[in-house]
Amino acid sequence: MVQPAQYRRLALLALLLAIAFAGLGYRLVDLQVLRHDDLSREAAGGRENTIIRPSRRGDILDARGNVLATSLFVKTVCADPSLIGTNQAIVSRALAPLLKMSEAELAHKLEPRVYKDQTGRDHEDKYVILKRKVLLEEWEKIQTAMKNLSFGVDEKKLLRRERGFYRNLRQRAIFTEPVDDQLRVYPGGTLASHLLGLTAARDRVVEGKAVTELVGKDGLEAAFNSALDGTVGWRQIESDRGRRELVIFREEDVAPRPGLNVVLTLDAGVQDLLESELAPGVENFAPVSISGIVIRPRTGAILAMATLPNFNPNQIGATTPMANLRNRVITDSFEPGSTFKTVVVSGALNEQIVSLNDVFYCENGLFSFAGHTLHDAGHHFGNLTVEEIIARSSNIGAAKIGMKLGESRLYKYIRDFGFGDHTGIPLPGEVRGTVHPVKDWYKVSIAQIPMGQGLTVTPLQMAMAIGTIANHGRLMRPMLVDHLEDEHKQVPVRYAPQTVRQAISEETARLMVQAMKKVVLPGGTAPKAALEHYTVAGKTGTGQKPPYGSRKYFSSFVGFFPADEPEICIAVFLDEPDPKRYYGGETAGPIFKAIAERAAAYLGIRPDVEAPSDQPVSRAEAVAESAASNTLTAAQSGGNY
Amino acid sequence: MARNRKNQPAAVRFGPALKASLLCLFIGGSGVGYVWQQNQLLELGRQKAEKEKRLNTLRVQNSQYTRRLAELRSPKSIEVRVRELNLALTMAQPTQIVRLVDRPDGLPVTRPSAFVKDTAARSGTLPAGGGRGAKGQIERQYAQRQPPASQGP
Repeated sequence: MVQPAQYRRLALLALLLAIAFAGLGYRLVDLQVLRHDDLSREAAGGRENTIIRPSRRGDILDARGNVLATSLFVKTVCADPSLIGTNQAIVSRALAPLLKMSEAELAHKLEPRVYKDQTGRDHEDKYVILKRKVLLEEWEKIQTAMKNLSFGVDEKKLLRRERGFYRNLRQRAIFTEPVDDQLRVYPGGTLASHLLGLTAARDRVVEGKAVTELVGKDGLEAAFNSALDGTVGWRQIESDRGRRELVIFREEDVAPRPGLNVVLTLDAGVQDLLESELAPGVENFAPVSISGIVIRPRTGAILAMATLPNFNPNQIGATTPMANLRNRVITDSFEPGSTFKTVVVSGALNEQIVSLNDVFYCENGLFSFAGHTLHDAGHHFGNLTVEEIIARSSNIGAAKIGMKLGESRLYKYIRDFGFGDHTGIPLPGEVRGTVHPVKDWYKVSIAQIPMGQGLTVTPLQMAMAIGTIANHGRLMRPMLVDHLEDEHKQVPVRYAPQTVRQAISEETARLMVQAMKKVVLPGGTAPKAALEHYTVAGKTGTGQKPPYGSRKYFSSFVGFFPADEPEICIAVFLDEPDPKRYYGGETAGPIFKAIAERAAAYLGIRPDVEAPSDQPVSRAEAVAESAASNTLTAAQSGGNY
Repeated sequence: MARNRKNQPAAVRFGPALKASLLCLFIGGSGVGYVWQQNQLLELGRQKAEKEKRLNTLRVQNSQYTRRLAELRSPKSIEVRVRELNLALTMAQPTQIVRLVDRPDGLPVTRPSAFVKDTAARSGTLPAGGGRGAKGQIERQYAQRQPPASQGP
């Protein structure tokens, strides 16, 4: 029989069990219902994570595939001072040389710090950035140094907790940001720096994570930022207790899309020789700046474009003068001087109001018009043909041709040659120059403008205008980018040469070439620009900078060769050369010649002038001679030298 | 006489035992298989993660080699190297370059001078009269000094 006492005990046990289950039930409801959201978020926060997968910024390549700008993934090295304890001196001694920092600075950064959160509670700072833009090989050295760190104690004799401290210090105290940064690198240094431009870092939030991206700030980097810039990807992961990813629980995995490569028409070889030939011009003539452009007149493709002084985009800093950053070829405009006579004479020839043989009286060097006296700088020309006006650069002759052409037609040709408008080069910061409408002209303007005063043009506009004459009268849009390509060399976008307009007829262009050939002959203004193996057509310019009489000049020479079938057009501009030698033919002419000779050899341009020393050669002799000589031709080397 | 329980044959009933064993085996096998599969997945995941890490490292290294190559190929670097090695390399002068005209198919090769003229005239590099200037001279000289080639039909 069951005793009543047993019933009581049974009831008591049942009650206790019921209370226990009720307690457990409450706990269950508390965890699973009342605090569900907070707890699940907390759990997921430790286990789930989103990793940003950075996209690589595209490269900028020259026409031959040489890399002009590329991106490297670099690390941001951080530290957890709470894991370093009192070992700052030892750690900083090991890492300071690798991080290229002083030991004191590094030790200071590794000092433990406390910060207050929003509620006023103190927290130990577990995150401090030691250095950004650390290369992978440097990071590997840092890891090795940390692994081999010695603290001067026999760790085997230490307690387990102390051994754990040192293990954590070695393995976890120094770490990197999970998302790599990018470092923009320009392997050529200063080469084409004004064209390539600059980048800067920009912080952005993607999927709740801060990402530092590169963004173009100037030059092609800015103009083609949207193409160069890729799209970041991300990955949602789950980790185990050791923070190792459990790949099977990967949820979203979006691959980054790298940016497109921008392939230029620019040739690094031509660019280098242009810059290296402009440099002596700085030494010899001490200008404020010197600029040069090499274009293919047929397509408008820019082979090289340089301005000195320039800058090294790898080492840009506060010490770089702002003036050096300016691409003066497109951002500065000047009164062009006599190179502008080509526009006036082209217009007059095109309108058939003059012919090359028409004679103009040049007033023996002094011509009064509209209350002003025009001069023929140091010359006293009498009668000159139109061809001679170009060859000998008579201001008075050009003024008279301009007057014969008339204001409205002169203005039309100025605009038709592209002046007063953007050339359309895909670079930021291009100015239009200043071309006043006819209604704003002074009475003397019709005489001043033909000699290159009273309007301003950019060096690129002037080069493209002379290129128009070289290209049978067709004005081309300057072409700097040939195509865009992806990482697999697929070409989503290809840019074709664009004709802006037929500025003058082909026959007029031919006559202009005929006249401009005389410029480099003895008696012309630029015999020093003549080439031995090529006929050159060109025009000098020596513009006075306002205020007139200040002995500040803008000297230039723009020419092309071979004159009848031009392969390249080269323009050289000196801003404020030495006042003792400032004529375009004296300053820019020889520089043009030096550039042209090297560019012709590099590009393998076929000579059109018979060399006097040519001896009959056979193919066998030629091959033998070529093999015997220490000569590296552009064709043999792929044009890289 | 009716058989009672005690008198039932002693033979073991294998059917139910086999079924029970198979069920146990199935359940046990499924459990082991599941664990093995999970281990495999984890292991493959680990390998995948390692390979992705390796791929990333290789990509980074590749970009560094690309940069190094670009530096070495830059004109300034080549110029410095040429100077260091004292190679005395210079650009070829226009007179040092000999241009040979390719023979288009269908042209006889028996008359080199005529061939050069014809080819040049066809390609537009020479006027029909044979051309003037250095290019014409070089091509004429080449044509004249070519030894008689194999006779055609």
